[in-house]
Amino acid sequence: MLDQILLLGSIAVPLAVSLSFFAGWVRDDEWVVKLACLGFGFPCVAGILLFIKFDGTVDGYCFEILYEKMGLQELGITFHLGLNGVSSPLFAMAGIVGLAAGLAAVFSGAKRLKLYLALLCFMQSGLMGLFASVDLFFYYLFHEFALIPTFIMIGLWGGRNRRGIALEITIYLTLGALVSLGGLVALNVMVDAPKFDFPTLSQALSDIALHDSTQAKIFGLLLLGFGILVALFPFHTWAPRGYEAAPTPVSMLHAGVLKKFGLYGLIQIGAPLLPEGALFWSPWLLWLALGNVLFVGMVTIAQGNLKSMVGYGSVMHMGYCFLGIGVCSSLGAGSAVMLMAAHGLSVSLMFLLSASIQRRSGTYEMGQMGGMAGKTPILACFFVAASLATIGLPGFGNFWGEFGVFLSLGEQPSHRIFLGLAALGIILSAVFGLRAVARIFFGPQSEELTAHENKNPIRDLGLTEALPAGLILAALLLLGLWPRGISDRINKEITDRYAKVDHATLSLFLPPCCPVPQGGEESNQTTPLQVSPPVVLEPEER
Amino acid sequence: METVTPHHFMVLSSLLFGIGFLGVVIRRNLLVLLMSLELMLNGINVALVAFSRSGSNLDGSLFVFFIMTVAAAEVAVGLALLVALYKKRKSIFSEDINLLGN
Amino acid sequence: MILGLELFGMKDSSSGRTGVIAIFFQSVLFVGHLLDYLFWHHSAALNFFSDMISQGLQAEVMRSFFLLSSLLVSIIGHRYLCRKGLKSGEFHHLTMLATAGLMLLCQSNHFLMLFVALETVALCFYTLVAYNRDSAKSLEAGIKYLIFGALSSALLLFGIVLLYGVGANPEAWGASYPGHEFMDPLSFQYLGNLMSENPDNLMLRAGVVLILAGIAFKVGAAPFQIWVPDVYHGSPLPITAFLGVSSKAAGFFVLLNLVNGPFEGMSEFLLPLLGFVATFTIFFGNLAACAQRNVKRMLGLSGVAHAGYLLVAVMASMQFAGDDDRAIWVLFFYLFVYLLASFCVFGVMGLADLPDENEHEFSHYEDLAKKSPWAGFVLVSGIASLAGIPPFAGFIAKLLLISVAYEAKLYLSLTAMVIGVVISIYYYFGWMRAIALPRPASFEDVEDAPDPWAGLSKTGFMKVVLVLLTVASIVLGFWQGPFGDVF
Repeated sequence: MLDQILLLGSIAVPLAVSLSFFAGWVRDDEWVVKLACLGFGFPCVAGILLFIKFDGTVDGYCFEILYEKMGLQELGITFHLGLNGVSSPLFAMAGIVGLAAGLAAVFSGAKRLKLYLALLCFMQSGLMGLFASVDLFFYYLFHEFALIPTFIMIGLWGGRNRRGIALEITIYLTLGALVSLGGLVALNVMVDAPKFDFPTLSQALSDIALHDSTQAKIFGLLLLGFGILVALFPFHTWAPRGYEAAPTPVSMLHAGVLKKFGLYGLIQIGAPLLPEGALFWSPWLLWLALGNVLFVGMVTIAQGNLKSMVGYGSVMHMGYCFLGIGVCSSLGAGSAVMLMAAHGLSVSLMFLLSASIQRRSGTYEMGQMGGMAGKTPILACFFVAASLATIGLPGFGNFWGEFGVFLSLGEQPSHRIFLGLAALGIILSAVFGLRAVARIFFGPQSEELTAHENKNPIRDLGLTEALPAGLILAALLLLGLWPRGISDRINKEITDRYAKVDHATLSLFLPPCCPVPQGGEESNQTTPLQVSPPVVLEPEER
Repeated sequence: METVTPHHFMVLSSLLFGIGFLGVVIRRNLLVLLMSLELMLNGINVALVAFSRSGSNLDGSLFVFFIMTVAAAEVAVGLALLVALYKKRKSIFSEDINLLGN
Repeated sequence: MILGLELFGMKDSSSGRTGVIAIFFQSVLFVGHLLDYLFWHHSAALNFFSDMISQGLQAEVMRSFFLLSSLLVSIIGHRYLCRKGLKSGEFHHLTMLATAGLMLLCQSNHFLMLFVALETVALCFYTLVAYNRDSAKSLEAGIKYLIFGALSSALLLFGIVLLYGVGANPEAWGASYPGHEFMDPLSFQYLGNLMSENPDNLMLRAGVVLILAGIAFKVGAAPFQIWVPDVYHGSPLPITAFLGVSSKAAGFFVLLNLVNGPFEGMSEFLLPLLGFVATFTIFFGNLAACAQRNVKRMLGLSGVAHAGYLLVAVMASMQFAGDDDRAIWVLFFYLFVYLLASFCVFGVMGLADLPDENEHEFSHYEDLAKKSPWAGFVLVSGIASLAGIPPFAGFIAKLLLISVAYEAKLYLSLTAMVIGVVISIYYYFGWMRAIALPRPASFEDVEDAPDPWAGLSKTGFMKVVLVLLTVASIVLGFWQGPFGDVF
């Protein structure tokens, strides 16, 4: 019972806080801050608690809440919440990033703070609900909670060109959302299931699988829609500009959490339910993801503005996640989930620290900074750690995700070329990450910085800024040093779901004379750290 | 001399309707426009009477009375509007009535 | 029964008190009708007037719709008339008469009844649009509406006559000729039989096309939507709302009745035609709305786009089998949601105190969210519901529409709809941007125009009504209760 309360509360509490701010019941500024901290803190605590309590060996969903009479039962829509192996780490990550973003907003000293926090809380409740939903319709609905708040927040508190960017980001997000809605509706209609949530759908599909071409079409729609939402290669242009124009907490929530909506959808819904469809689109996805990694990576190197560099960098790292999904194996998908969780943490940390740097040096242009390490050693420390995490150095969570993705790429001979090219991405991210560190913190101090410093003396990271940053960094370190904490929970879920996909993949890539081994045996007892034995070379299978 | 069949009435009705339609589309004097509307409705009346007669069905003739009544009401409203418009804009030509529009 | 009650809408006095009496009367009527509908379930379709009027379940729903709509129009209209100093007697008289006509229109089962009711409504509207006799724009809108309306009535009538022509001819009937005494060639049932027998008859086809053309005018579908921006621009605000909601709803219900009743035999012919019209309408409405500066014109064209979406629903209803009327209920739900959202928007627009009340520009709404937060919130939720953003009811309506269209395999129209919704985000959010976000610093010295929102404090009753509408919009976005049960 407590678990259900925690789960429901993590959506309801921020929503209630947000509505009370909107309705104007809270006048006192102090109370605004306290309630906002509650609104962000509760989901974080709930997320972490539920993550710890989650039992990785149980089949299916934990902590379920089901309410049926929502009015659209004929379409199969019910209010069904729950966490499973893939969603619980992401749920916890959303809570942590939300708390950090909320604290950053509270201490940012923005005007009309009450409205700002109300919109941010509303968005946060949507994000928590997104990962907690089992029912596909509510999953989509909660994602759309973020649409109007983003529009208003970018327009009111954003950077330059904010009015135009706000409209543009809304148009892109709506386009992606509608296309993916089309895919979801197609799925609903083609699979005549009584309920529109994942367990029922997978049950119905295991009885009667959809035809290959239908699967390909539906998966294609989902891929297009989710791809636009997650900034897959040709559709990525909105993302970096949007993040640059948005205020920092909004960028954190967007790049860190909201972007995972599409990837989460592809892993939870797309590939397990539509394995042949996923296979059909797999080459496309791999090439486009590579475009993300290489092309956007090179664009990132060309950025002189710190915030836009972080934005482009986040788009680049999404390429790795897409690679993991595009491989269509349980190893790839599991690593993608790990990378998603870690990337969410690392990119929001980067945005947070960029804001801190901007506050001290007055600008985002890296050319106008330099030598800040002497004055702000703690900030430098955090920033170096964040950059290393983004690059994918061992010790932080990103490493395990990227490593797993590379391993999964290496499994099939046809994917080895992707492996080679993707490894180049590491070099690219090292280039821009370390160069940023060098330019901002080390080296001679630029004149603009000196001039700015004379007006506003530079102080080191204070407690109010260090608290959210430290929270995220702690989570990253935890993930990096003890990856089993997360991978155990992901493991069983991914293995079960991807049993069909693995089967389809292997049957596609094996020579026809080799019988295909059964789905569960290869990675049932292994964590994603161990390499599954390459099946093609074992003649004993005959 | 051939007998007058419903086809002839149909042709007449279509002609009247067509002339009226063209009148509405082309003419600029609003009064003439209203008259063209009436012409269209009367063309329809002709067709109705013809079909009613040929099919020995009274419904058509009944319909004619309804149409005439409605046409009268419509023209009353239309003329009232025209008078009010003239008082305001001192013109009944459609090109002078152009306040609306982008 | 209730059918007779609405005909008591005849009040002739012209004092200001009439407004309050009219509102009271209409709310009583609405509540009474709703109770009647909910508690005494009339399941069988009753026929009156020798089969000219039928009173089935769907007609009951539409009647409550029209009553609610006219109630809200009276409320908005009352405030408008008080401010403008116009006589209010005829206004309420005419709106109630128009509502009565609309209700009869929805229950008509015979082309004669259809025509009479349609003309009643049209005449009332011609007068209402031109109600503000001191404003040349209002008169101009009225005369434009009259000309286009009369033209379309004539087209409709010619179509009916063509149908009659075939129907009165005994040889054309074939097997289903009901016998000389029973023949009523303008009734929907008989015509339905006739058309199933002869779907290829050229005259029948021409008649059907002309009738649909007449209806498409009322609804604002392309290529008959030219009147929409001008008439919406010039007419008084409550009448714009009335037009946009009731007239459109009536047109769609009649279209639904026609294509599922008499014209059912012609479905293969009508479906591609309607599909083309729907696609054209959606694109035209959305693209033209992007270019508008004046808010009322933009709302008119966005209404055209919504008409396009509803046409897709009508097409879907043609595809389903006889008993499966899911698409019809989707249409009703969409219309109800459209009613709520439109009246939210028009209600707030009505509160503005502009020098020329037709010229609502985006700039008049700058910073509304700061000047009057509740008005800004109501307006934003109305716009969001129209645009189809969760968690408002408009999203559910669009979702239902998408799923029904997908089931009916109308893929092309569905794609057009999705593209249309994305385009519509541009102008809807453009307006929201003006409302919620502060004006960027402008370079020229603009003299301070008098603030249109200064007098907002004295709006107690309107505030309650608008907040109720908004809450209904949001609640329906989450919980569709009785509508869902009907599926």
